[in-house]
Amino acid sequence: MDNPSRREQWEKVKGIVGDALDREPSRRIAFLDGVCGTNTTLRAEVESLVAAYEKASGVLHDAFPPISLETASPSDMIGPYRLVNKLGEGGMGQVWLAEQTSPVHRKVALKLIRAGMFEKEVLQRFQSERQSLAIMDHPSIAKVFDAGATPNGQPYFVMEYVQGEPITTYCDQHRLKIRDRLELFLKVCDGVLHAHQKAIIHRDLKPANILVAEVDGKPTPRIIDFGLAKAIGPQTGAETMFTQVGGFVGTPAYMSPEQADPGVRDLDTRTDVYSLGVILYELLTGSLPFDPKKCKDKLLYEVLRQLREQDPPRPSNKVETERESSIVAAAMRGTAPKQLASLLHGDLDWITMKALEKDRSRRYGTPSELAADITRYLEHQPVSARPASMGYRLQKYVRRHRVAVAIAGAFVLLLGGVAVLQAVQLRRITRERDRANRITDFMKGMFKVSDPGESRGNTVTAREILDKASKDIDTGLAKDPETQAQLMDVMGSVYESLGLYPRAQPLLERALDTQRHILGPKNPETLRSMNHLGWTLMKEGRYGEAEKLQREALDAQRRVLGPEHPDTLATTNDLAWTLQEEGRYAEAEKFEREALEIERRVLPTEHRYALRTMGDLAWTLQKEGRYAEAEKFEREKLDIQRRVLGPEHRDTLGTVNNLAWTLMREGRYAEAEELGRQTLEVERRVLGPEHPNTLITMNTLAGALSRERRYPEAEKLFRDLLDIQTRVLGPEHPNTATTRYNLGCLAALQGRTDEAFSLVSGAIDHGLRSSTDLGIEKDPDLNSLHADPRFAPLVAHAKEKAAAAQILK
Amino acid sequence: MDYVRLPEPSSGALLGEFVAESSAQAVTALLAKWRAGDEEGLRALFPVVYNELRRVAHYRLQNERPDHTLQSTALVHEVYLRLEKQGGAKLENREHLLAICALLMRQILVEYARRHRAAKRGGGQKETLVEGMALAEGRSLELLALDSALEALAKLDAQQCRVVQLRYFGGLSIEETARVMGISPATVKRDWNVAKAWLARQMQRGGHG
Repeated sequence: MDNPSRREQWEKVKGIVGDALDREPSRRIAFLDGVCGTNTTLRAEVESLVAAYEKASGVLHDAFPPISLETASPSDMIGPYRLVNKLGEGGMGQVWLAEQTSPVHRKVALKLIRAGMFEKEVLQRFQSERQSLAIMDHPSIAKVFDAGATPNGQPYFVMEYVQGEPITTYCDQHRLKIRDRLELFLKVCDGVLHAHQKAIIHRDLKPANILVAEVDGKPTPRIIDFGLAKAIGPQTGAETMFTQVGGFVGTPAYMSPEQADPGVRDLDTRTDVYSLGVILYELLTGSLPFDPKKCKDKLLYEVLRQLREQDPPRPSNKVETERESSIVAAAMRGTAPKQLASLLHGDLDWITMKALEKDRSRRYGTPSELAADITRYLEHQPVSARPASMGYRLQKYVRRHRVAVAIAGAFVLLLGGVAVLQAVQLRRITRERDRANRITDFMKGMFKVSDPGESRGNTVTAREILDKASKDIDTGLAKDPETQAQLMDVMGSVYESLGLYPRAQPLLERALDTQRHILGPKNPETLRSMNHLGWTLMKEGRYGEAEKLQREALDAQRRVLGPEHPDTLATTNDLAWTLQEEGRYAEAEKFEREALEIERRVLPTEHRYALRTMGDLAWTLQKEGRYAEAEKFEREKLDIQRRVLGPEHRDTLGTVNNLAWTLMREGRYAEAEELGRQTLEVERRVLGPEHPNTLITMNTLAGALSRERRYPEAEKLFRDLLDIQTRVLGPEHPNTATTRYNLGCLAALQGRTDEAFSLVSGAIDHGLRSSTDLGIEKDPDLNSLHADPRFAPLVAHAKEKAAAAQILK
Repeated sequence: MDYVRLPEPSSGALLGEFVAESSAQAVTALLAKWRAGDEEGLRALFPVVYNELRRVAHYRLQNERPDHTLQSTALVHEVYLRLEKQGGAKLENREHLLAICALLMRQILVEYARRHRAAKRGGGQKETLVEGMALAEGRSLELLALDSALEALAKLDAQQCRVVQLRYFGGLSIEETARVMGISPATVKRDWNVAKAWLARQMQRGGHG
């Protein structure tokens, strides 16, 4: 780590080992021969790592077996099966058409199950399930032939290859009448009943799993994937919801209420009856009792709640109310909407609704009961299904209120859906090119999700969204460079606020360049982008370039927009900050006073801009040694913030911290210490112990303790701070370097000269700010080092580094 | 002595001023509530946290003993309690939650293995950190070895160390790890392989303790 050559060596080794492990073991030797050449040290190091990888056992070995799902390809052999072509891919895994060569030659469907975290358990469970699956023998059920695992542990299933259409598609394509549909449906019920008698529940009945083919000219349904949901899926309905995020989001339509209920652990055959009810509903009306597509705009948990609580409209009612879709649906059934509705009215309504009962004890107990009622209907006999009584409805109403857990549980699904939602919204909205402002607002709103100003820790989401968006921006907005530039400016600024300057800069440069060409160099948008780029350059320490851009922007803004325009004021403040960073305090103060004078005149006192300028000005004054003036502005700002934001707001606390530092510089150490302690306590509680602001307050408090000559306490606090900073900000961050420097000062104050030199020079070499570099010579805390012969070279080194940084930039 | 200035928002990024209303914010808002010390936030998110944890624990313990369901539940409770204790300060989003769960999981398992060994050496009664949780004997040794190898790896390559932590202790897939770390899945895969090689060598050499 400290040793750059070791690090370099590791980077090299790492690259070669990574490449080697990507290759087949048999090809590695030739590869290493080529890459390592005569470098035997490198070769030995790489080889020992590759060998260790091969030998890895125990915890490392079984951590994650390789996933062959990613690599399966035609003509691969899995057991006695040769893969032919991929039929489909879903949440569960992949389905392949495969050929079995022995003992019989036949086509089969082979399902490769996505190797997930439960694979061992899955396999165990399947081993016990396959026995019972094998004993199913019914014309309506596709047979399961075999099950096993590939050598690396990937589970797979082999079943009868069925060529057919999903039952709903088949019925529509062949314009089957209601009676014919019901007869086909009866065969499905028959198959399900057969499985139930063998104690096998399907758990995932839906049209896609009921394929219809013609046998001897007659439509014959085949149910596929019987028992698979249990064999490979999670054990309960609740787990289904929670673990299969994404997998079930698309098709909750056929899921029974108990499957959607985290509280229900025991699913029984009645869950299949419910799914049959949904399929029946669809066969009759052409639509789903709850159509998830129609709920697109609703929150996901709303949809699930509806599924669990709300009764669907009766089939006849559905046909009557949804006029447009009913015309098509009726035509598919060889009739007209009115006739269809009256056909469904009564018996078929009741039968369907009984199959769809939320409370499974009110549902048909078995598929045969459901089938019996349908048969009675077809034979014009009275059906057993009856409308639920009033008493029962009341009872159900009470039951509805026990759903809090389920609603909360749906948040899991929500989280999964959010990413997709954002991507979709982004794409949709970026298409509306003429609505540039909306895009900007949208994106800013989007980034607000994680508010990057808050802390380092939350950069993940913002990064993700941002990286995705910045990829889209080139293609999605190619024909609208103006909007493109505006978005680049926004994204660049967001990258900047995340501290990702190398990513921010090119975006901002492109934005500025485009705007200069399209909008002209004096356009307000162009000027704003110019200032943003300047700000980012300043953050990177490229003060010269930053100042030049900001001055150019400011001059133009004053002329084009006038001195009182918010953009002009923003640039004034930003330029002052740059000057202040360069140590040019008098110039900075001049701009800050100008800005503040205007802000006080044209803006409300609590306006963000005015508060910011007050803080900036106080800072500059403090740097100039004018503590009383600085304190006055800080107290004024603090009063406003306490009133407007409250005493525990992050920004209010920040001002208290700055005030504490000013008091300290004035020699009022005890007061500073007291303020520091109070602030630190609140920040640790409100912001967390590792929040950037909390760290800065630690620095202040430690500073006050040093001034009070309570060195051990101060040192302890600085050491704690250094630990956190190294971990959270990284060892090369300027703030981390400052703490190292401060520890050096403490060592010097206590006469530990060698340690002081080591700490200070370490700080200089690892990220110390140029402004601090330049102050070393006159820092009174280092007075004890002046006599040492090492001091002059140290100062020279620091100055060189600061100068080099300036030139480099 | 020098001092670090508080960061002020750049005029470019007026992020604090926009309020949107998508569902992502609803979740983030709950997390924020918790961060601010409001226990309601955590409670409302309980199912999210709980199930992430269950997933991780289940994964981590699946090789331990057949009655792992009981164990993973116990482990989840332990992690959840710690999560609750430390407050919401660091929890910003789901990815973050996963990362923290992985870290806590590592801490707990290692702590457990350490105590387990100490109890063995001292000949005293076996002490369980979590009731109902037990690691196989060889397992706790390996776990400690892995932990110290990981510490060494962190000094050499912090990114690889994070990958292992998320994958091994967090049970995250390549893609999930990539999302959490903001790097590409291909990079995660490579880092994971190389880290495994390095850790295996370190452990084979007995470079721990």
